[in-house]
Order: sequence, then structure tokens, then C-alpha cells
Amino acid sequence: MLYTPYDWNETIRHRNEYVEMQLRQGSPVAGCSYDGGVLLLTVRGSQRKIFEVYDRLMFSALGKQSDVESVRIAAIDVAHQEGYLRSPDDVTIHRIVGFAVSPFIKRAFNETFGTPLVIRAIFAEVGAVPEKDSFFTIGYDGEFASYKHRAAVAGTSRAEQFMLDQLEKLAKGLPSLDEAVKAALWAWATGRYVSTLHDEEEPNPSTDKLRQVLSDELKSGSVEAAVLERDTKRETRFRILPESELSPILAEFL
Amino acid sequence: MRPEDTGREAVSKLHAEAANLTAARTGDFMRLLQSAGYSFPASPTREPTVCTTAGHAQVQEAHGTTVIAVKYKNGVLNVGDRRATAATAIMYDRAEKVLPLDDHTLIAIAGSYARAMEVVRYLRHSFKYYARTQLQEMSLDGKVNELARAISANLTSALQGIGAFLPILSAWDKEANEGRIFFYDAMGARFESAEFAAAGSGAERIRGAFDYIVRTKKPFTSMSLEEALAECLILLDIAADLDAATGGYTKIPPVARAVTANGILDIDEPKLREVVRALVAAPALKAGED
Repeated sequence: MLYTPYDWNETIRHRNEYVEMQLRQGSPVAGCSYDGGVLLLTVRGSQRKIFEVYDRLMFSALGKQSDVESVRIAAIDVAHQEGYLRSPDDVTIHRIVGFAVSPFIKRAFNETFGTPLVIRAIFAEVGAVPEKDSFFTIGYDGEFASYKHRAAVAGTSRAEQFMLDQLEKLAKGLPSLDEAVKAALWAWATGRYVSTLHDEEEPNPSTDKLRQVLSDELKSGSVEAAVLERDTKRETRFRILPESELSPILAEFL
Repeated sequence: MRPEDTGREAVSKLHAEAANLTAARTGDFMRLLQSAGYSFPASPTREPTVCTTAGHAQVQEAHGTTVIAVKYKNGVLNVGDRRATAATAIMYDRAEKVLPLDDHTLIAIAGSYARAMEVVRYLRHSFKYYARTQLQEMSLDGKVNELARAISANLTSALQGIGAFLPILSAWDKEANEGRIFFYDAMGARFESAEFAAAGSGAERIRGAFDYIVRTKKPFTSMSLEEALAECLILLDIAADLDAATGGYTKIPPVARAVTANGILDIDEPKLREVVRALVAAPALKAGED
């Protein structure tokens, strides 16, 4: 079979369409720094969506569950090998995303006879000081971007932009954990709302609209939020916020 | 490269990938290291390359000496002196021989400092790797066995005369809601102790003293943290008197940590100094000065 540049372009376009169509339905993830560490928040069905990768590193994603799982394992494997053979201090977000996860996803995307990974992932790293907090997002083609205090992944890039704007507005500076959870949930609702719109529709994420989205979504789903704590006496910084801690904060949404 | 080499390479690559998958599926960190081409522990596989003269290895490795674990009212207290020695030289007087492996497990190490620290790093990663890949914590029994595995993997090296170490594992058993103490032999056999354990060159010197305390005062299990701490410090000081490789408590305070239902409790230097001051000022010890 002859493979022309035209075919190549077509193949890539088909792959993009295939992945993006499936990502649209995914539940977004919002992340931001707060005074005690970093937070990731999403709304999930029955399966867990936010995972600890290493001492200072956590991860969440939307996409196909099996693909999310293989990226999760790839990141954990590399982080632990590196942390043991060198030092936990050498396991940093940009090394794990840039040198381990990105090539892994990119390879799957380039193998035109295999299926690409359906995933948009977000990594969060807690720094020793808030200025060192860091977020990375990475797409199904292996392209990644870094953010300082606020980041988001959603089904479309437009939805992500709206989420970032929302976070910018509500999680300014260094919010408390309560404020950060609320801001992230508003951002989540914004992302959910915008990604379900058709491309030609102009988004209007009014408070009423977002409340509607939340009350619909929380009927079947539940809020999942996890933090990496900056200063803790425990050996593990990662903590999934329990129901008892979340429900008072979320009372106003329900 | 000959074609059969390429074939062999492809097969070994497949094997490595399979091992890697198994590592992730079962949360087995040792397998993960092996699949990446590393051996654990990093031990000499053939004849030791160390030159020996008249049976003495020329490599002098640092050794940790006396560590103690006792069950007290609210958990398990571990105390260790801070001296690391190589033959008659004191290499280091601030060695940390009591280390947390996770929020409910402590390890106290005696013997080869290098190998023990490698095992501590290994176990920390092993427990976390399991928990993070499997999304559940490794069982206490699993952790106890994982340490046994690390010790038995070290046997060849230990038989060659370097790298032997013996640890005590203390843990809070969340199922049984009580503290537990495990100790090992050089082959990796695990034993559980009812109330106390000690390891290192000073341990044998003070073994009977534990019993004496239990019979004449009260069981460690009914002591408060302060009471148990005072007894352990005296035991450590006796070990230091009888064993040249064990450091005392007056110059640099020992390391003390406890594992409880609420996690690891670090007993800081000021607190230790306070207990030591009270001990030194006690009438029984003062009487000797007159």
C-alpha cells in the first residue's frame, strides 16, 4: 500500500477526531494551590479518579479508564525506580511528565496501526513553599503544558480555558482549603457545562446555569477531592478528603 | 550484530516487559527493579573482590550497635544509640537507627549500616509502591514478610563477611488494634516478641535486664511513655557501659520514636535531655558519686 502525505494527514486527523469525540463526555478536573498544599477536584461515578503517584506528586485524568490506568502505572513505575535508585528529591513533576509520561503517550499516538490513548491528564506537585507548587497537563498526543498555581483539564480546550478563568477569579492568591474546594467545584461545573456545548454555541456560564449543572450531575456522581499537604507529620502527604470534611464545605451546592 | 542476537534481544525485551507488567499488577517493587535491570540488594554475586589479609577484610564497614523495642501502654517505643563504628573507630556519633517506614511501621537497625539503610530505602519504596499501584495498603503480614525477603536476599553477602544486619520491626496492627514487635535471624526467619526485643552488639549484654525490670517493677505494657522511655534509656546506658560499640546517652541523646494508633511519634531532643537529666540526678546514681 502506498502511503502518501495526504494519507498521513488524514490518519492524524481521524485519530484526533476519534479521541476528541470520546473526551468530550469526560468529567473535567480542576486543580489549584491553597495555603496548605495543592488540591485536585473532580466529580466521579463509581470509580476513583484522583491518585497518588509519589511523595509530592498526584494525578487525575479524563478518558478511557484502561488508558488512564496505564498512564498512572507508567508514572508510578518511573517515579519509584528513580526515587529509590537516586533520591526522592529527584522525582519532580517535569521529569516524570516530560521524560516518562509524554514519550509513552506520544508513542501510542504515533503508532498509526494501534489505537491512541484516550486521555487528558493533570499532574500536581506540592512544593516546599507555595511558589514551588506546580501543575502539568498532558494531552493524548503527548503534548504537555505547565502551570503555576491553577490548572484544569476538560473535554475541550475551550472548556479548559473557561475553567482557568473561573479559577483565576475565585482562587486568587493563596486561598484556604474551603475556598479552594469551592472554587474548584465552580470551575468543574463550568468545564462540564462548556464541554457539552456545540462549537458554534457561545458559552454563558451564569451562576444559575452552573448550579443547574451541579445539581444534575451530583444526583448520580459524587465530588472527589484530594490534597498533597505541604507541612505534615505523616509519612504520606496525599489525602483524599473524606465525606465528613467535604460535606460542610459543599452544603451550599446541594 | 548476528541475527540470533537480535532474536535473543527481542525475547529478553519481551521478558522484561512481562516482568514489568507483573510488577505493576502485583505491586511488587523488587520485580520492578529487576525488570529495569537492577538487582536488590546490590550484592557481590561472585567471589568478593575485597582483598583479605590473615582473614581480615580490608574494607571496614560502619556498624550500628544497640537498638531496643518495647511495648508500652499506647504502642511500641523504639530507642537506639547513635554510634556507628568500624572496628575500633567511631565513624559517626549521630547515626539514626530508628526510622519510620510508613505511618504505622518503625524499623530499628543494627549491623551493617550501609546495607541496612539500603533496605530501609527499599522497604519505604516497596510499601508505597504496593499501596499506590494496588490502591490499598500492604497488610502487616505482607510488610513483615517483605523485610524477611530483603534479609534473605542479603544472605550471600552476609556469608562473605560484609553487609550483615539484623532489624527489629515495630508496627501498629490496625486490625488487632495493638502494637507488635518482630525480629529476625540472618536467614530471614521472623519471630514475634510478646513484649520487648533488642538487637546489636550491646543487645546480648542487657538481655536479662529486661526480665529483671518486668519481674521487679512492672510489665512494659502497663508503663506510660515516660516510664518506658526512662527504662529504655537506662538499658541503653548499661549496654554502653558493657559494649564499646554502643554510645551512651549523656553526650548525644539517643533516637526515640514510638508507633501508636495515631501514627509515628517522634520524641525530640529537648524531651530526651529532660528524661536523661532526671535519670542522672536520681538518688541511686548520685549515691555512687559520693
